[in-house]
Amino acid sequence: MAIVLETKDLTKKYGDVIAVDNVSLSVEKGGLFGLLGPNGSGKTTMIKMLTGQTRPTGGSATVLGLDVVQDPVGVRGHVGIIPEQETPPSFLTAMEYLRFVAAVRKIPDIEPKAEWWFDFLDFADKKNVLCKDLSRGTRQKLMFTQAFIHEPALALIDEPLINFDPIMQDVVKDYLAGYVKKGRTIFISTHILEVAEEICSGFAILHKGTLLYTGPVAELAGRNEHLPSFFLSLVRKDRHV
Amino acid sequence: MFELFTSMMKEEWRVHSTMFGSLSFALFPVMIFGIAFMGSFLIPLMQVTLPAGNLTLIVHANYLMLGIMVGGFGLLGNEVMNRRFGQASLLAYSARSLPLSEQFIFSNFVVKDTVYYFFLWVLPFGFGYIAASPFVGIPLARALLLLLTLTLSFLFGLCGVFFLSTVYARSRPALWSILLILGVGWGGLTTVTGTNPVLFFPPLLLNSAFTWANLFISCVVLALLFGVAIVLFNPESVGSEKMYKDSFTPLMRRLSFLPNPPFNAKDTLDLYRSGSLIGQTIFSFLLPLGVIWFFLALLGPFFPPHGLLFIFAITTGVIASTMYTWVTMFDTFGPYACLPVAVSTLIGSKITTFAILQVLPAIFIAAVAILSGEVVYLVPAVVLGISVSFYAVSVMAWLCGLSPNVLVYDVKVLFVYLVLVGIVLTVFTSVAFADPYFALSSVILAIPTWLLVQKAKVRWDAADPAGF
Repeated sequence: MAIVLETKDLTKKYGDVIAVDNVSLSVEKGGLFGLLGPNGSGKTTMIKMLTGQTRPTGGSATVLGLDVVQDPVGVRGHVGIIPEQETPPSFLTAMEYLRFVAAVRKIPDIEPKAEWWFDFLDFADKKNVLCKDLSRGTRQKLMFTQAFIHEPALALIDEPLINFDPIMQDVVKDYLAGYVKKGRTIFISTHILEVAEEICSGFAILHKGTLLYTGPVAELAGRNEHLPSFFLSLVRKDRHV
Repeated sequence: MFELFTSMMKEEWRVHSTMFGSLSFALFPVMIFGIAFMGSFLIPLMQVTLPAGNLTLIVHANYLMLGIMVGGFGLLGNEVMNRRFGQASLLAYSARSLPLSEQFIFSNFVVKDTVYYFFLWVLPFGFGYIAASPFVGIPLARALLLLLTLTLSFLFGLCGVFFLSTVYARSRPALWSILLILGVGWGGLTTVTGTNPVLFFPPLLLNSAFTWANLFISCVVLALLFGVAIVLFNPESVGSEKMYKDSFTPLMRRLSFLPNPPFNAKDTLDLYRSGSLIGQTIFSFLLPLGVIWFFLALLGPFFPPHGLLFIFAITTGVIASTMYTWVTMFDTFGPYACLPVAVSTLIGSKITTFAILQVLPAIFIAAVAILSGEVVYLVPAVVLGISVSFYAVSVMAWLCGLSPNVLVYDVKVLFVYLVLVGIVLTVFTSVAFADPYFALSSVILAIPTWLLVQKAKVRWDAADPAGF
């Protein structure tokens, strides 16, 4: 299997604080990879480094063969990204924002694609509403749309389900599962372990910026273990250390 | 409920000190103190050509303008109460979950900002002057009076614009009516007294002849303006939905001759739909310049022939350069971080939108040249004003990237900005005073402007994008 994402000793320090410490991992094409960890474990910093939003202070990372430090714009051009906190620009409507994204990403024929997404995620009635007036869930739908509308080979999503209601969570989980079946890759960060166990093929556990474990979810099933209990035992052990 | 105010004070300190270090933020008023202290030693030299009363006039005009520039809380209110700035959710927003009225929260926010501006700008300047007064032979009482009247001057600008901007946010026709009444009153006063109404500005009256009655009246007027503005304040309620047809695509097509049409179309819609284009033009451009015009008009006799027009063109250029903050205030790099966009692209596109906005100062300077009967110098005045504006914005972009509103309070940034812009202003004021047509030579500023913009792009591409 081809490697679509690889880090070697990736490190990020903010002054004296080490957010990510010498993390080396690789993600194969065509899977749904989950980066798991408690709050403040460095997941968001990892995604920010992998998408060129922040520079590593050590190590290296390549995404789809592109170096994230040398070519951050190139990386963002080839992948889809849903940042954890960011919201679409305030004074554009949802439809205008997608047109803006299409213009920047040079996506042709945006109208039918946008309409499909409005229907699929059930927010067609909000397409002419200013983004600042959208609810948190609808903003998340819009951010989800912008990340997938160009059908990227790799999508990096920070907490993919956090603002969705249970029905929409189901829709999104199905979509993600179908997306990887087409040979594309998804890299998510989450601390919702049940979701990770349900949808991920591979995973890595990050705690206090350090990589504790990486491997396929199927391996756990083979050992008759569940991801949540495995995760908790590993993190608790690390806390004691 | 003093806790809310003190918490907001702490928050403001931490917001700035987190961004560029406690020391850099704490040194800001020290630098203003230093400038005032050292500047005071120039007073005896300046008094050879400019009487003391006129110097007082200039300083009061500056503080009135500072108050005007920062007083647009009515425009800012919705952002404070309903949304986020950068990645930080301000206390004013989260305080809504407490049993407190919006008016109360917002008045605390405004008072907190006023106190900060006072400690950052007004007090250090006054203290600088007071500290220098024994060395330059100015009685201490006179220096203390100046501190008082400068404070009042700043507050008149701040409360006046706070009131007007709140009226604007509530009802635009009401604002036009008030401005019309003020204009008629101003014109009437000029006609009846035959004097520039600026001379009736309460802080100036107090400075020339202090009376407790005048001080009391000034305080009452300020309290009234502030109180009415707070009562009128009415933020958009959460949950309201504004809908628009697609204006982005046609606008982008119309701007297709520019290097980055989607970004320029977005900036234009941001400005228009937020009400900032008209609001900022009135409160951050026309109003301060109108005030400056009346103050500068009193100094006409001390300038060389035609000097007033060029001083005004340069002042307009400096104020016009702050239009860069109009286009950078809507978003951080964050919303673009999921797109294949470099910080340099954004800086370039913001400067392009800024360039479009320069039509306003160009028209304004041309109108002043025509109205003041100096149409013959229209071209050099416009060229000088616009060149200064572009040069100042290139310095701002180099020093602050996409965050000029925030990084200006970094003492190192402000110092370098003042030096780089100050030198250019001094040189081209002298050049224009020597011969009005020499002002055309300011086009040469296009070279450092271009170089600084290129340096800004390289510098901010190499830095981690700021979350503010």
